Amino acid sequence: MITAYKILGKNAFEGFFGSLAQGREVYAPAQKSGKIVWAPMLVAADVDWRLDNTDMSPKEFFFPQSECLMRFKNAGGEDGRVMVPVAPLATQRVLLNIRPCDAKAFRLLDRIFVQDDMTNDPYWRDKREKTILIGQGCANPCPECFCTSTGCGPFHEEGLDILLTDLGDRLLVKPISGKGQALVKDLPEAAPGDIDLAGRIMAASEAAVNRYPGFEPKKLAGHTVLDIYELPLWSSLYETCLNCGTCTFVCPTCHCFDIQDEVKGEAGRRVRNWDTCMQRLFTEHASGHNPRGEKRDRVRQRFMHKFTYIPMRRDGELGCVGCGRCVRFCPTNIDVREVVRRMGEDAEAKSK
Amino acid sequence: MNECIENTGFRPRIAAFFCNWCTYGGADLAGVNRLQYPADFRVVRLPCTGRMNPEFVLHAFRQGADGVWVSGCHPGDCHYIAGNMYARRRFTMLKELLEYAGLDPGRLHFSWISSAEAEKFQRTAKDVIEAVRALGPVDAADAATKTMVMELRKVI
Amino acid sequence: MKARAEKIREIAKRLLQEGRVDVVIGYTRGSSPMREQPFFARTPEQADQLTWSSFCVGNTAKSLVQAARAGERAGVVAQGCASRNVAGLIVEKQVDRDKVVVIGVPCLGMVDFRKVEAQIARSEGRRVETVEEDGEELVVRGRGFEKRLKRKELLRDNCFTCQHRNPVLADELAAEPTAETGGGDIDKVAAPWEKFPAADRWARFRETFQDCIRCYACRDACPLCYCKTCFVDDARPQWLGKTQDMTDIASFHLMRAFHCAGRCTDCGACESACPQGLKMRRLTSKIEKDIRELYGYSAGMDVQAVPPMASFRPDDSDDFIKQGGEQ
Repeated sequence: MITAYKILGKNAFEGFFGSLAQGREVYAPAQKSGKIVWAPMLVAADVDWRLDNTDMSPKEFFFPQSECLMRFKNAGGEDGRVMVPVAPLATQRVLLNIRPCDAKAFRLLDRIFVQDDMTNDPYWRDKREKTILIGQGCANPCPECFCTSTGCGPFHEEGLDILLTDLGDRLLVKPISGKGQALVKDLPEAAPGDIDLAGRIMAASEAAVNRYPGFEPKKLAGHTVLDIYELPLWSSLYETCLNCGTCTFVCPTCHCFDIQDEVKGEAGRRVRNWDTCMQRLFTEHASGHNPRGEKRDRVRQRFMHKFTYIPMRRDGELGCVGCGRCVRFCPTNIDVREVVRRMGEDAEAKSK
Repeated sequence: MNECIENTGFRPRIAAFFCNWCTYGGADLAGVNRLQYPADFRVVRLPCTGRMNPEFVLHAFRQGADGVWVSGCHPGDCHYIAGNMYARRRFTMLKELLEYAGLDPGRLHFSWISSAEAEKFQRTAKDVIEAVRALGPVDAADAATKTMVMELRKVI
Repeated sequence: MKARAEKIREIAKRLLQEGRVDVVIGYTRGSSPMREQPFFARTPEQADQLTWSSFCVGNTAKSLVQAARAGERAGVVAQGCASRNVAGLIVEKQVDRDKVVVIGVPCLGMVDFRKVEAQIARSEGRRVETVEEDGEELVVRGRGFEKRLKRKELLRDNCFTCQHRNPVLADELAAEPTAETGGGDIDKVAAPWEKFPAADRWARFRETFQDCIRCYACRDACPLCYCKTCFVDDARPQWLGKTQDMTDIASFHLMRAFHCAGRCTDCGACESACPQGLKMRRLTSKIEKDIRELYGYSAGMDVQAVPPMASFRPDDSDDFIKQGGEQ
């Protein structure tokens, strides 16, 4: 079936926004005190088409930094302990102008949270099913982006319901999923000239990303885990890492969490909070043993998890989408692109 | 004031940290002498005010205390010679910091009371309790105006 | 800046060649614009990678404790504030004076990348790609634009009010001493919430810290924070939770500020490391101001000094402490 591209003039956006917002909460990137954050859009005019990607990833929409999983209390007598689950999401939501890298990240996380019958996280699933993702292709990639090195790209469609391309005074609309088709069925069809223009924007954008430093994932393939594990690179790289965890918090694919019961008197709640493999206590066992007690081991783990272990188990798909946030925010400028490049080059050199 | 003694109205919950050698003894002496004051604080006994940790104060507020009272030996009388001297500087910095961040001054109290000063203990207890009581009950977590003491409380 | 960088390289190379140090802790060119990377040079060849610029926004003293624990003798490239932290670590016996060689750098202030970005209109899809220092100007370039900005107007907040730009202890100097202060009046900007009535201060605190994501980058960038187990990880009792509740966020920042009393040099590494751009110095400046005014002490100025929170005077003020005589 040939995709019917649609066209939406920006002066007609208000009507479309109205239909989007019917019974749904609409979110899009907005500026706030020098940062770009996800914010609720109350009216069509709130939407700013020209903003770049947000500072923090949108994973909070499905995986909040701090989430109550259930509450419980001692009811006394025959009732014993009463556990009350948390209510599911009340309204549908739309994430408008999400970038393709972040949408792909959700697909990656789906494979963690809802991978099969045994692992079916209801908290994640509920929110995912109730959220529509309308992406905007990146016409202006940031200097830190490296999506094309990770099997993603500035106009990549994986995970999106609709992909928009900003053509100036109008938007090219490409419905991708069934949900997306339904939303745009009443929009006028796009002219071939619009589709061509979008194609040129996409090509220019991909070329731009490719001009920024990236890496070739192929170089990592074909080496054993131990080859990479034992590279001398790790013994020097770890020194400047602060183990602060900023990279894990801003990353759209990082998903580790800690569960804790907070109890007060006869009542309590079970809370899930983001955790980070960068902290020493992350792997401390109850016995006191810590398999990653040395900073070198933790730093190595971060890169190998995303670029070796995950691809091993996911048919070569990397655990990174190239959004560039970790590059932008690392306080000591440890650049993942440089690290992965060195991993590949050093492993190749060693095998010769 | 009388409201307090007559057990009516709002009863504040105050966490009190007393040093074992002085204030705790003074409180004990007040009890032996049947000196009356409202029973609105719970005492945590420390060997010395030098043991006081600022986390204790924050923890007390976190657990729901309306006020915190720390009391120890007069400077010069410390059982461990100078524990209270170090504590004095910490108390100064802590009180300044917390009140700078918005804590009501009436919620954090410090005193020096020796083990012989039963009446001083009674007077101070009444003063502290009244100061906290006068601030009224802390609003529930969903109140429109957020105060520091309200938001320091852990809500499950 | 280039002259400083060259001198630093020259000194570092010499120290490593002579075997006076096992490692020189400094900075090298960052891969992102506006941020230089901390760098550990262990050979004279590696020393060639050292640099210095207006974007050295960490604190090299942070890595000294790591080096000391590994038993290494370290050279450390340090400007005024970082050298005060080196002195502080010596005072706190975390580092041996004879195992450190300070390469002092008289500082001209560091630039705040967020201030540069604010001039570049991110909403127009512009991103900074390169920044070049040209005397007192910064040449900022991106796709389709080039802008010249005045370096002095883009300095970090703490650099404007810096009281000690020259290193306080230095075995080598990478430049001639410069004007000691940054020109701004610290007393005008320290503890900004003091001018608000008590009832409004909490709202200010809240507004400053509510976006905190508890990544602890501030703590991890700070040379004062070297505890093997930080208080946030204490479990018995657990002082603060791991959630985003205001009590958990507030407890972290209040306690960390308190732990830095009498030790903080206002180096700004915390604010520079924060991914959310929190202005936490609004809180820490209060501590620093009280220490100065109450105890006449500035951290790290003297390796022989006893820090104020580890000492006392019999006549320390205690007006706020009830003596039991009130009626």
